[in-house]
Amino acid sequence: MAASWFAAPAPVTRRVRAYFAPVNRTAEAPVLFDPSEQGGFSLDAPPAPWISLGWIQDFVRKPTSRSTPLMTGIPAAPLEQVRETLQAQVSLQFLSWTKLTMALATGSQHMNVLAPASGASPAADGAQAAPAVVPQSGSTSTAILLTSSDAAKFNAGSIIALDVDYTGQTGFVGTPVTGAYVRQTLTDVDYIRRVTFNVGLVAQVNATGLTMAEPLPGGAPAAGAKLQAVVGFVDREGGSFYQEWSALFVMQGSQGERIFFHYPRLQPMTGAEEAMTPLNAKNQNGPSRVLLKAQFLGLPVIDPLDGERVVCYRSLLPAANALV
Amino acid sequence: MQNAKDSFYVALRTRLATINPERTILLRGTLRPGILVEEAEAPFSQFPNDVFVLRWPGTAVDTDLASTMVAEQCEVIYQTCGTQSFGGLDRGRALSEMDEELLAMLQPFYTQKLNYTATPPAAMMTHVFWDDPIFAPVVTQRDRLSRSVMVLVYSYEEQGE
Repeated sequence: MAASWFAAPAPVTRRVRAYFAPVNRTAEAPVLFDPSEQGGFSLDAPPAPWISLGWIQDFVRKPTSRSTPLMTGIPAAPLEQVRETLQAQVSLQFLSWTKLTMALATGSQHMNVLAPASGASPAADGAQAAPAVVPQSGSTSTAILLTSSDAAKFNAGSIIALDVDYTGQTGFVGTPVTGAYVRQTLTDVDYIRRVTFNVGLVAQVNATGLTMAEPLPGGAPAAGAKLQAVVGFVDREGGSFYQEWSALFVMQGSQGERIFFHYPRLQPMTGAEEAMTPLNAKNQNGPSRVLLKAQFLGLPVIDPLDGERVVCYRSLLPAANALV
Repeated sequence: MQNAKDSFYVALRTRLATINPERTILLRGTLRPGILVEEAEAPFSQFPNDVFVLRWPGTAVDTDLASTMVAEQCEVIYQTCGTQSFGGLDRGRALSEMDEELLAMLQPFYTQKLNYTATPPAAMMTHVFWDDPIFAPVVTQRDRLSRSVMVLVYSYEEQGE
C-alpha cells in the first residue's frame, strides 16, 4: 500500500516575505490576520488591506519579555512564574526602496518632497510646493480626471500625492494611512500631501487626465482631495511621531508548509539606518547595494479569545500529508 | 533518490516546452523538448548543440532528520555554435538565450515528487526543491561556446523508497 503520510523535518525556506497594513490610529484598530481564512493566499496577491513589501533579509525576531519566579519556602525555591514584562522586537532589511519601505525604516514621519513652486526658497523638507490641482468628478483610483491645462502639468513617469488641504487640523492626519500627528496648528496648506501615503506613479497622461501605473492606496479621490507632483521622499532623524503598522511575515517551506508571524501592532524603534552589501563579496570596494534597515517594537493587543495580552501570533500551516 | 531525479528532469522538460517550444531534439526517432539526462541515453562522443544535458555527479545524505534528506548535485551542460544563417556570429546571443531559459526553467524552485515507474506517474507525498544555480564561466572551443551550471537538488526519502 502506498504511503499516505511523511514525517516532516524542520521547514526549509528560501526567503521571508513581508506584508504590512496600516493601523487605524484614530480608532486604535490594528489589522488582524486569520490563518484559517487567509492562510492560503497567493504571496503575490495578499488579501486587502495587506500591502506586499516584497522579500526581506536578515529577519530576526527577539522576544524580550521577562518572566520572574515567585520564590517561597526556606531555602527559597520557585513556586511558579509570573510574566514581568511583555515585549518583542523585530529587525529586518528591506530589499527595495519604496515610499512604504522607507517609511517603515525610519523612526518618525516620512514625507513626500513636493515639486517646488517657481522661485520658492530652499527648505530641507522641500520648498514651498507648486499649487495643487483638483481632480474632476468621476476620477477613480487608477484614472485621475483633470482639466487639460492641469493634465499638462504632469508627465508619464511623474509621482503624485493626493490628499486634502491642511486647514488647521490637529491630531492624526493622512488618508488612507496616518502619516503624522499634528500637535499644533501649522501654516503649510500642503502639509497633509507632504505626509500622505496616498502616492502613485503616473503611467500615461492625456488631455483628460492621468492613468496610474497602480491603483492609489486611498482608492478614488475623496471630496476635497487635491494632487501635486512629488519629486522624491525625505525623512528625518528626530521628531515625536511614531508610525504604527500591523505586520505579517511569511516563510514558505519547501514542502508547501507556511509559517506566519503576525504582529498586530509594530512601531519603528530606531532612526533611519542603511546597510551596504557589496555586489561582489570578493571586491568589498566595488559597487554595493544599499539596504534599508528596520527595527520594530511589538506592542500588545488583547486577544478577545481569552482576554490575554499578546504581541505576536506565530502560526504553522503544515505541509499536506505531514505528520503533526 | 531516483524519483527526485526523475521529477526534477521532467519538471524542467515540461517548463522548457512552454518557455521555448522551438528548442527540440530528435532522439531515438522522437521529437522531444531539448533537454535530456546523460545517464539515460546511449553514450555521447560529443554532446549535441543547443540542448540541455543533465548529469548527476554527486550525492550527499543527511540521516539525522525525521525523514532522510538527499542532496543531489546536478550539472546542466549546454553548448552552441550559433545559427548557420548568421554564420555562427550569434553564438554569444544563443548561449545567453540558453542561460535565460535555464534560469526560467528552474523557477519556481520546487516541484511535486512523482514516481515515474508507475503508469501514469504517481504523485508522492513530498516536494523536490533546489538551490540557486551556479553558472561556471563560458568555455570556448573554436566556434563552440559551452557552459556548465551546478544546481543542488534536495528531496526527502519517503516510505518505500
